[in-house]
Amino acid sequence: MEKRLLLFTSLVLFLSMSAWAQRTVSGKVTDDSGEALIGVNVLEVGASNGTITDIDGMYSLEVKEGASLQFSLIGYSSQTVAVGAQSTLDITLEEGVQLDEVVVTALGIERDKKALGYSVTEVSGDDFTEAREINVANALAGKVAGVNVSNIATGPGGSSRVVIRGNSSLTGNNQPLYVVDGIPIDNTNLGNAGMWGGQDWGDGISSISPDDIETMTVLKGNTAAALYGARASNGVILITTKSGAKRKGIGVEVSSNYTFENIVNTYDFQTQYGSGNRGAKPASASDAVAFGLYAWGDQLDGSQVIQWDGVSRPYSDVGNNLERFYRTGSTWTNSMSLTGGDDNYNFRIGVTNLQNEGIVPNSGLDRNNFTGKINAKFFDRLTATLSGSYIKEDVRNRPRLSDSPGNANYTAWSLPANVDIETLAGPNGDGTDETGGENDFNDNIYVTNPYFAAYHFRADNSKDRLLGNLTLHYDVFDWLYIQGRIGMDTYNERRTNLEPYGTNYTPLGSISERSYDFREVNKDFMIGVDKKFGTIGLNAFVGGNQMKQNIQLVGGSGNTFNIPFLEQITNTQNRSVDYDITKEQINSLYGSVELSYNNFLYLTGTARQDWWSTLPTDNNGLLYPSVGLSFVLSDAFQMPQAVTFAKLRASWAQVGGDTDPYQLLLAYGLFGQGHLGQALGGITSSDLPSLTLEPLLNTEVEVGLDLRLFNNRVGVDFSYYDRKTERDILKAGLPTTSGFNTKVVNVGELSNKGVELLLSVAPVRTTNFRWDLSFNLAYNKSEVVSLLDPENDQELLSQDESRTRTAYIFQMEGQPYSIIRGYTYARDDNGNIMLDADGLPVVGDIENLGEGIHPMTLGLRNTFGYKNFNFSFLLDGKFGGDIYAATNAFAYLRGLHQNTLDGRETGEIVMPDGNTTKLEPENVQDYWGRVYGIAEEFVEDASFVKLRQFTLTYSLPRSFIEKTPFSGISLGLVGRNLAILYKKVDNIDPESTYTNANAQGLEMFGVPQTRSFGFDLNVKF
Amino acid sequence: MKNIFKKLFLSLLVLAFALQSCDDFGDTNIDPLSANEINPDFQFSFLQLRVSGERYENWRTVLIYSSTMIQHLAALPTYWSGDKYLYNAQYSGSLMERCYQQQVLQSVDLINTLENKLAAGEEVANKLAAARIWRVAMFHRITDLYGDVPYSEAGKAYLEGIDFPSYDPQSEIYADMLKELEEACAQFDAGQPTYGSADFIYGGDIDKWKKYGYSLMLRLGMRMTKVDPTAAESWVKKAIAGGVMDSQDDSAKVPHTDGPEGINRNGIGEVWLADNSQKMSKTFIDWMEANNDPRLDAISYVPNGTAQKGLPNGYDATTIKEFLGLDPTAELDMGQFSAVNTSLVTTASPMIFMFYSEVEFLLAEAAARGWGGDAATHYNAGVRAAMKQYGDLFDASAAVADADVDAYLAAHPFDGSMRMIGQQHWAANFLNEYEAYANYRRSGFPELVPVDYPGNVTSGKIPRRLAYFEGERANNPDKLDEALQRQGMPSAFNQMLTVPMWWDKQ
Repeated sequence: MEKRLLLFTSLVLFLSMSAWAQRTVSGKVTDDSGEALIGVNVLEVGASNGTITDIDGMYSLEVKEGASLQFSLIGYSSQTVAVGAQSTLDITLEEGVQLDEVVVTALGIERDKKALGYSVTEVSGDDFTEAREINVANALAGKVAGVNVSNIATGPGGSSRVVIRGNSSLTGNNQPLYVVDGIPIDNTNLGNAGMWGGQDWGDGISSISPDDIETMTVLKGNTAAALYGARASNGVILITTKSGAKRKGIGVEVSSNYTFENIVNTYDFQTQYGSGNRGAKPASASDAVAFGLYAWGDQLDGSQVIQWDGVSRPYSDVGNNLERFYRTGSTWTNSMSLTGGDDNYNFRIGVTNLQNEGIVPNSGLDRNNFTGKINAKFFDRLTATLSGSYIKEDVRNRPRLSDSPGNANYTAWSLPANVDIETLAGPNGDGTDETGGENDFNDNIYVTNPYFAAYHFRADNSKDRLLGNLTLHYDVFDWLYIQGRIGMDTYNERRTNLEPYGTNYTPLGSISERSYDFREVNKDFMIGVDKKFGTIGLNAFVGGNQMKQNIQLVGGSGNTFNIPFLEQITNTQNRSVDYDITKEQINSLYGSVELSYNNFLYLTGTARQDWWSTLPTDNNGLLYPSVGLSFVLSDAFQMPQAVTFAKLRASWAQVGGDTDPYQLLLAYGLFGQGHLGQALGGITSSDLPSLTLEPLLNTEVEVGLDLRLFNNRVGVDFSYYDRKTERDILKAGLPTTSGFNTKVVNVGELSNKGVELLLSVAPVRTTNFRWDLSFNLAYNKSEVVSLLDPENDQELLSQDESRTRTAYIFQMEGQPYSIIRGYTYARDDNGNIMLDADGLPVVGDIENLGEGIHPMTLGLRNTFGYKNFNFSFLLDGKFGGDIYAATNAFAYLRGLHQNTLDGRETGEIVMPDGNTTKLEPENVQDYWGRVYGIAEEFVEDASFVKLRQFTLTYSLPRSFIEKTPFSGISLGLVGRNLAILYKKVDNIDPESTYTNANAQGLEMFGVPQTRSFGFDLNVKF
Repeated sequence: MKNIFKKLFLSLLVLAFALQSCDDFGDTNIDPLSANEINPDFQFSFLQLRVSGERYENWRTVLIYSSTMIQHLAALPTYWSGDKYLYNAQYSGSLMERCYQQQVLQSVDLINTLENKLAAGEEVANKLAAARIWRVAMFHRITDLYGDVPYSEAGKAYLEGIDFPSYDPQSEIYADMLKELEEACAQFDAGQPTYGSADFIYGGDIDKWKKYGYSLMLRLGMRMTKVDPTAAESWVKKAIAGGVMDSQDDSAKVPHTDGPEGINRNGIGEVWLADNSQKMSKTFIDWMEANNDPRLDAISYVPNGTAQKGLPNGYDATTIKEFLGLDPTAELDMGQFSAVNTSLVTTASPMIFMFYSEVEFLLAEAAARGWGGDAATHYNAGVRAAMKQYGDLFDASAAVADADVDAYLAAHPFDGSMRMIGQQHWAANFLNEYEAYANYRRSGFPELVPVDYPGNVTSGKIPRRLAYFEGERANNPDKLDEALQRQGMPSAFNQMLTVPMWWDKQ
């Protein structure tokens, strides 16, 4: 499978072909078992011509007299052989980590990996297509050291959160820049749930189909990213799409993947007491409605007890409501691609269709990707590459999260053990009553019937997206090239959000429609040289880029439907329009010089100057330098036999970042549509603006060691980095009494220090059996150094708040990024919990209760190959972070949590300090209700280890399909998130934050995590 | 040679392709949709609606807390915290949470703009005077609900760089508000332009604004009768001398319409679209019934069509059955309880800030205290205005005939007591709940019987204030703690409700 990787490297050849060869060499390349190797790069050393081997491992190349050929293939040791007088040259490549590996670096420049002074990790496209994630960024979890991927509890179609080497901005964007074939693409999150609820409206990276990805390259540090300037201050993920290759006829590849998914049910609520109040069962239907969400009734005894609908049912545990409510989801992905080409051009066309049905009833998404890429050569040395994708995404019913209105998850997890969720479906099975409105089952109008929420609320959006890119590359001489490129990312998002007619909390309903247009155009040029002067090599270029972004929003909302159930904005009584325009531009110039000595010492320096439209005109630019050093010890010195390769690297770089447009002035505007014929106007800024903003600055030092031992059987890649963000542009939370929510300031200082280790071992490698083990570990220590006032070192910066309003996310000086603070038990000097006159715990002060982000991440992958079977599994773990579980807080309030069984008969409750409080048994609910407001009780260690991925594939032997039109068939069993092997938190999944924003560490009624299991079929012919 | 030209040509082609139409920023960072200043008329219009408020705080602090604590309304659900003296952080702090951004910020900005214009010689005296009076109307509600609050430094993060405003002692807030009223009333100038129809309250009528200003002075002066009777007397006399409201038309109210957006609507009317749990309090219904009050059938109706029956405060869906003598398994019929006349407050009803009737009761009280005037005359005028105000100002369905008022007054002649004035004052402030709650705490009338619901945070006493917005503990802790210490208040929010404020001297 990995051989497909090489289609990409073959591109190198097309860019550097030469026509003045004088004789022909041909031959066959095989591995040590005699199997033909496809796609091996065959290059004439010192010239720019080359080819790749075909499906029989055969190659043929015209070369000059006295030439040497270099044979290379990822996963194999390269060989360089002098041609001499031979016209046939057969080669056997040995498996091993490729030492002269070529990697894609910033601006799409390919460099020898050994020349780099910083850490780069490549992930092959196959890693994303076997066991799939709908949002491809989520599939990075556990695979790259230092890349922290959060699984957000938003259901399919939700946004990803990928953070490389810790968060580098206190309140700004912390996600990497995604670059597809050299062009940045937008990864804006189009809306998140907050403390008051809402839904995740998806992000930009979710458009990309894993079937089109050749490699994903993670540029982790600032040095790697420095050439991308400001927007790369959080690292860069380069996606290279698949290309065609020279081949006979048209190649066809078809793959099909079908997976089922169901909830990972981590809930363990009490099943001994039923609905009711103060120890009593509901005595009437109105009681059952009033206490419909409270399990403070009597012991479940099987007696007939009246429920919310007036029907008496046995007062006993009805079993698992969650598994009744959530359905089995499915995802079916089908893709097909056509490839072809000759010496002068190649192409690839790909189509992928994905259909998903989510676990929340009536939710799901469809995605269609159409991709094309063509490389062509003109006038000997001019290469043109045209690539583009059209992507259509349709997401149905994005589930509401966090707060209760319209959140089916909230209600599904709030029912006492004796209430069967299916009874809430009502006479029509969709949560409506006889009138077609919401079927009430409790007296809180804001807790929505889950079936009504699923079947009648709408939160749909569709995206039409076009990514396009045209590159002209001209090799003026062998050592001089110039390149120009224009790329565009443009999409339209259409959104409909409906609160239906008959909803309890808004009986006449409301609807909003919006159309959001995004367009970003990047233009760049580059002039470069690559030349050797004896032992000294020079590789340098200068270039420039202009980025223009235009966003336009047109929307409308209306409430109060005139004609019941005609849920169209044109049927609303009160309507308003929404219109917004945002423009941003960055101009940049940059350059890079790499000097090498004898192919073992490399020194690279880069510089980039950015100018932003969003900053004050007199201070809107900043220069970012970087220096990197790579020293290949194993080439410079004689090393012990065991050392195959050893390299030390060190680098230093600075990058910066800007802010959102229009942050500099206090803005006034008009509100609504006026009143009684008069205009309404006033201050519209809810953030206090600043006239003195400067670009933020992010400085990083990185050192690393790359070591391969025992003929590549053991590989160690270690990095240490220390990055500091200064002058961070913050939206500092202000007290509401100041008149503003936040203040835009330029003073934050943040530090991230960490280590990354990648250990690869091949314990067994025989002809038929192969075991590869890859272990990655990263530890990032973040510290908020300084906030608003440099004199004060006790400052706090509010980031987010839980709906319970008892727990908060803060940035706090001297503490890690995103700490959880909340109310504690008031304790006396001896540490005993203080009680009030009623015997209830007294609520104490707000204190630090945990950190929202795991400092440690690890991944362990084992891959076993036996003949044509390949078995692999990935463990993914995170440690040291905490989460505030609002679900558990509500489970206390409602008497659902196992802990609330304490004291129901005796009135005696043992408190966390070991002391006992004594109440009347019917008042025990007051105790647990009070504890609901004490966040300390619900901040728990969110560490976990999960069996993240599992694949078992069987490739039909070549001998078996030789006589068929097929060139490869493989079948696989695949799974994702199969098991939680270790966790500490009660009831919830430790990965349950409901937002992909910076404030991590709050949980509340998200879409449960799912495990998926399915089949994968791949056919090539 | 040919080769060189070809190379040059192709190189230029590649470069021209990438460099075409590169340009500088121009006005990229100028937001095309906003301005850097605003017409003060637009801002005053906006501010009037903002102070009238949204559903959010009208639901929470006006209805859930004030109206039930004062026993105008009652409700069974336990989230109606004020009905049961429970503490709900989000409801208790909601006015404070919203008003500084939505009201105070705009008010401070408007006054700053007008002061700058005045200094530049523009004729804005009337606009500034009205804005200053409206600022007092806005701020006294905040301090009357919470005690010491940010006042002199509030909403000034942009103008003066005050990110973390201090809390001013209530005594100083009162002193400044009274000074502001005095200065503003003297600032009006009949020769200068007004807001005209941008002023929804009085349509730019400066005489009415002056009366409103002095009436507020009367209200705030009277508020100090317990803590500083001398100052109270002096301000009350000054207000009366200035000229207070003397007709129903003088009442201060913001008109609303049903949409098109939330800001246009009456916030209380909007609540009643979603929440029907509020009923007329048994205390209020019983008092009207006992006195044959003609208001009873005007402002209250019974959905079942049966006899008027108030809902007692302090009960939930279970305990009310015991109260009614019902079996626990019986269904509870909420239609038997009196509810607010559905036409009285809708989304298009005005929001009341000061009834003329209130002024008459304040004058009656001043007379009864011996500060001049005839108490009985003012009492009778107050009762008449109070009985007719819902029909006159809100909806014709709530109209009360003069003959019925005459009969009532004849049956209940004024006996000179503070109790009678206080009871009528309480009834007259129905729908002006913040003021009803404040005046009750000052006057002690009517003699409400507190409830004692399990788990209440006041040991069964009517709260003396609401607890601050808890977000201040997180975002402005130093200034909050300073205010708590100064007022001798506990740091636990749920224990704050029993602490009397400065003017509520026990």
